[in-house]
Amino acid sequence: MTVRRIEVRERVMEKNDQLAAEVRRRLAGHGVRALNLVSSPGSGKTLLLERTLQQLGSELRMAVVTGDVQTENDADRLAKWTDRMVHAVVTGGGCHLDARQVSAALDDLDLADVDLLFVENVGNLVCPASWDLGETAKVVVFSVTEGEDKPLKYPKMFRMAKYAVLNKVDLLPYVPFDVDKAVEYAREVNPDLEFFFTSALTGEGMESWYGFLRAQACTPAET
Amino acid sequence: MHEMSVALEICRITEEQVGRDALPFVREVGLMVGSESGVEPDNLEFCLDALLSHAPFAGARVAMERSAGDDLRVTYLEVDDDRPPN
Repeated sequence: MTVRRIEVRERVMEKNDQLAAEVRRRLAGHGVRALNLVSSPGSGKTLLLERTLQQLGSELRMAVVTGDVQTENDADRLAKWTDRMVHAVVTGGGCHLDARQVSAALDDLDLADVDLLFVENVGNLVCPASWDLGETAKVVVFSVTEGEDKPLKYPKMFRMAKYAVLNKVDLLPYVPFDVDKAVEYAREVNPDLEFFFTSALTGEGMESWYGFLRAQACTPAET
Repeated sequence: MHEMSVALEICRITEEQVGRDALPFVREVGLMVGSESGVEPDNLEFCLDALLSHAPFAGARVAMERSAGDDLRVTYLEVDDDRPPN
C-alpha cells in the first residue's frame, strides 16, 4: 500500500463565499444595497417588512427575496405591498439561505430598477450567521417577548450583524424584558451594533428605521 | 443543523481534488473545525462517516483537528496509490 498525502487547505465555505462575492459585485454594479434580515421565528420580521414596503413604497424601489422552509406565506403577504418584486425561495428543509439561492433570485429581478434589496432569511438565529449571501449588512431582528440574553446565547449572529432591531416594544408594559440589559449584552458581543427600537404593529420607533433605510438607499454600495 | 450539507461539500471538495475515479482510494480526510465555525464537530463526523462508507467512497477515515475561531476546511487527503495506472 502506497499512501500519498495531498495538502488541500480548502475552506468548506469557499464556494458559497465566491458566489457571495459575485452577488456583492452585481449589486454594487447597480448601486443596490442589500440587507439580510435574520431572526428567530416570530420576531416580527415579516410585519416589519410589510410596514416598510407600505410606508416607503412610493419613495424607494424595494425588492424582497424571502426564504422559508415551507409555504410562500411571507412572500404572499409582502407581494401585496410591492408590485415590484418578491422572489420566494422555499428551502424544503434547508435552515438558511445560501449565496447560490440569492444569486439565482437576482436573475429574476431587474436590478437596474431597484434601490434597496431585502433578504428575509429563514427564521433561525444559528445557521444564517455562517452563510454570506453577498449582502451589504445583516440586520438581526429580535423582540421583547424573547429573553434579553438573546445576544449572549447567539453571539455569532449578533457579531455578524451591523444593525439590530428590537421589535414589539408596544408590549414592554406587559413583559419583564429589560431593554438596557439587552443592549448591554448585545454591545458586549458587538460594541458597534446600531440599534432600532420598534413596534411594527403600532408604528412606534419606525420613523427612525425608515430614516435609516432612506439613507441606505442613497449611499453607494461597496463591493 | 446543516452538518450533512457541510459533509456533502467536503465530499465535493475531495472529488475535485482527486477526481471521481480515485474516490474509492481515499483513505483519510483531514479537517480543521473551529469552535466558532457554526458546525457541531461530532454531528459532522457522524454525517461524513456515513457518506465516506458508501460508494463512490470505500470507507475513508475522518481525521478532525479542532481549533478556536471559525476555521472550517479540508486540510489534507490521504490516498492509497496502490492501484492500476490510468
